[in-house]
Amino acid sequence: MRRISLTRVFSFSAAHRLNSDALSHEENKQIFDKCNNYYGHGHDYSVEVTVQGTPDSETGMLIPLPQLDTAVTEFLTTLEHKHLDLEAPYFKDKISTGENIVRYLWNELDKRLPAGKLFHIRLWETNNNYFDIGKDA
Amino acid sequence: MRPKVTISKKFEFSASHRYWRDDWTEEKNNAAFGLCVSPYGHGHNYDLHVTVSGHIHPQTGMIINLSKLKEIVNEIVDQFDHKYLNLDTPWFKEVIPTTENIAVVLFDLIDEKLKPLSDIFLKHIRLYERSDLYADVWKD
Repeated sequence: MRRISLTRVFSFSAAHRLNSDALSHEENKQIFDKCNNYYGHGHDYSVEVTVQGTPDSETGMLIPLPQLDTAVTEFLTTLEHKHLDLEAPYFKDKISTGENIVRYLWNELDKRLPAGKLFHIRLWETNNNYFDIGKDA
Repeated sequence: MRPKVTISKKFEFSASHRYWRDDWTEEKNNAAFGLCVSPYGHGHNYDLHVTVSGHIHPQTGMIINLSKLKEIVNEIVDQFDHKYLNLDTPWFKEVIPTTENIAVVLFDLIDEKLKPLSDIFLKHIRLYERSDLYADVWKD
């Protein structure tokens, strides 16, 4: 069966620190290494949001692009130029690893997009590492 | 059992297009298509990634001769390159040349051309309209 998806790339910049209260100072340093730096550090995150379905017969689009852009941008604004651990309530009790961030993005964007449209998210933390979540992952 | 392998090749073309429906009011067109309604069209440098799948031929070590793939896809891409997709091509008279629709047309054209070849099939294409927008078409 032939399938079609559309991907839009977004970005946000944020600070974080990988640290678990359940671990000792030494254990945190050993596991999280540089990412445990006391005052945090930051990234320019890039987010590839993929929707799947059949293009609408009138517009030729899987989802109106302005609707996709608005839904995603409105949510990413809540993380833009923030310290994830200190300013995003989701990370109060979760470590802000790429894995947890991409899961958070999935949960939030899936709520904001028309039911069943969201197919895949790829979160780039740096140019060298990325995290995937989705119906095909 | 011989494993299947894929090979991907990139192509480029530059074209203009316009999103507009004559059966809609100007307001409705503006709301749905934003800047893409601009009356004389606008353009992009499209990047097309073509992925074919097949078995490695024991004598050539290839699944398809890349020159052959290049020739087949370029014959199609040439019909899009430096064209106004709405007016200069036959595929977008009834449908809007959105990224999704262009990708579907390209997939079907390439798929059709590859059919006569044995043991090779079109698995996936990715069409970048810009670095922040792309469509994928694939078969599963």
